[in-house]
Amino acid sequence: MKQVKVLLLMLAVLASCNSHSKKSDGNKKIAIIVSTLNNPWFVFLAETAAKKAKALGYDSKIFDSQNNTALEADHFENVISSEYNAILFNPTDATGSIANVTKAINADIPVFCMDREINSADGATSQILSDNYSGSIEIGKYFVEMLNKKGTYVELLGIVSDNNTWNRSKGFHSIVDNYKGLKMVAQQSADFDRNKALEVMESILQVHPDIDGVFCGNDAMAMGAYQALLSAGKADKVKVFGFDGAQDVIKSIKQGKIVATGMQFPKIIAETAATYADEYFKGKRDFPKKKPIAVELVNKENIDKYTGYGKKQ
Amino acid sequence: MSAQPIYLKVAKYQSLIALFILCLALSFLSDKFLTASNTWNVLRQISVNICISVGMTFVVLTAGIDLSVGSVLALSGAITAGLLKSGIELPGSNLFIGFTISGAILAGMVTGSLLGCFNGWIITKFKVPPFVATLGMLTIARGLTMLWTKGYPISGLGNHFAYIGSGWLLGIPVLVWIACITVVTAVFISNKTIFGRYIFAIGGNENASRLSGININKVKLMVYSIAGLLAAVGGIMVASRLDSAQPNAGMGYELDSIAAVVIGGTSLSGGRGSIPGTVLGAVIIGVLNNGLVLLDVSPFWQQVVKGLVILLAVIVDKANSKVE
Repeated sequence: MKQVKVLLLMLAVLASCNSHSKKSDGNKKIAIIVSTLNNPWFVFLAETAAKKAKALGYDSKIFDSQNNTALEADHFENVISSEYNAILFNPTDATGSIANVTKAINADIPVFCMDREINSADGATSQILSDNYSGSIEIGKYFVEMLNKKGTYVELLGIVSDNNTWNRSKGFHSIVDNYKGLKMVAQQSADFDRNKALEVMESILQVHPDIDGVFCGNDAMAMGAYQALLSAGKADKVKVFGFDGAQDVIKSIKQGKIVATGMQFPKIIAETAATYADEYFKGKRDFPKKKPIAVELVNKENIDKYTGYGKKQ
Repeated sequence: MSAQPIYLKVAKYQSLIALFILCLALSFLSDKFLTASNTWNVLRQISVNICISVGMTFVVLTAGIDLSVGSVLALSGAITAGLLKSGIELPGSNLFIGFTISGAILAGMVTGSLLGCFNGWIITKFKVPPFVATLGMLTIARGLTMLWTKGYPISGLGNHFAYIGSGWLLGIPVLVWIACITVVTAVFISNKTIFGRYIFAIGGNENASRLSGININKVKLMVYSIAGLLAAVGGIMVASRLDSAQPNAGMGYELDSIAAVVIGGTSLSGGRGSIPGTVLGAVIIGVLNNGLVLLDVSPFWQQVVKGLVILLAVIVDKANSKVE
């Protein structure tokens, strides 16, 4: 009996705290739920969204799903029960995240997807998506041009369970596979990781010392592959291609170390999402269901227009 | 000893035999495997895992485990890289302290040792099982790494620092030298010092060791500090090799290092095992990683194969310890 009393007392205290905190909080709150903060690209996405939300006069908080859809579900439940007014969302999984979005929409909280898609036509309020597939088609075309339609190459894949790994790979191959002169001699995963890419590339170079190009599913791997080529003394013979538009690679393209990358625009994506939330609060409801943000090819010719993760202002 | 049956003699060298068979098979399957440059390759690639695994072996010998090595590696590497690149600002003033390469490396190593020491303190003082204590540290150190780097890599650390990761000394890569020195020191500690004997004793029978007057807490504190220190050494090696400290460096390294220890024949229940065994374990994993890529095996299958090898090693080891 005593335990029950203590429990009731504790609940009462908690309840009073709760109502107190609600009263002092007049500002609208935006939750930013991102798939992972273990990758600088997503850190940049989340931070830009938070900055923009703040600039528009809202409170915001970043939630890290750690690439785990179950943890993401927890975040959604917490966000819904603590009565956030909007969610800027970077899903962990195209299908697994649909249920989470539906839960929030049913609770009258608008959800704006950033960068990655959920496979549900009318699930989210709006989806602002980076067009990975078309972007890697552009890279594929430039790759064919730079290698003069013939030679051998290696592909370094990202995490093999990640959607974007395959979007990028498929876009690239949809172009490159049409050229009989171009032969892929190895296709290995380096988990989007710089160190892994370095080690995998070192091993591949043992078997295929005379390759002409490397296509990497992200920029971290491109840097790792370049490092391996550099220590093998082949850096100026092999053409390296990346994807993302990270600071390191932009610098390396300028120095002629890496040939090209696909620039994604996390800044535009995040700011658009925050602006949409702002417009939603002001009464707008007719958002485009999908707003693709093009991925642009960055190479030596146009490098001066770009900086890390975006265009120069 | 001469009365030992032949199968026991074979059992003693199981990892060596396994490695030999693996290398033999790979050199038949790929003519690129047994070349000088590929051999250096493999040695360079495993040097980080060897350093971490040596520390892990000491921990496992005391019947403990350290799950935090990957995160400690990341934090120590990031601290070294950060201090090297931009120094540190004294709070409450505009004074910046710059760091020389050796100063930054020392700071990274101190960081690792302190984190390891903290692990040991939690384990001995509060009697928290090592699995749980170091699991906590795995998350804490990763979080601290994120705080320190703000989630972005710290790159461009300079040619002098990069020499550690890509340079050669007397015809041998610097990374391999570091691994060799670590191994030789560790073998000396475990075979020739009283501290070494205490480590085995504690793992063999903790109560008996306590009753015989060994200061168990002190030994454990030391062992976890060494594991932290060696993780830091690994972190500095990785940062130098990439010319960049990545916030997600070392993810999953604890598993590779536990695998090396287990394949090397060290018992997870403590008291039995050796440093050379662990080195062999690390070499087997390294050769496997390298070989599977040389043969262009699909990334999906690679994971399956690696898992099977670990299982096989443990099963063989179990069978052997029963025979003994």
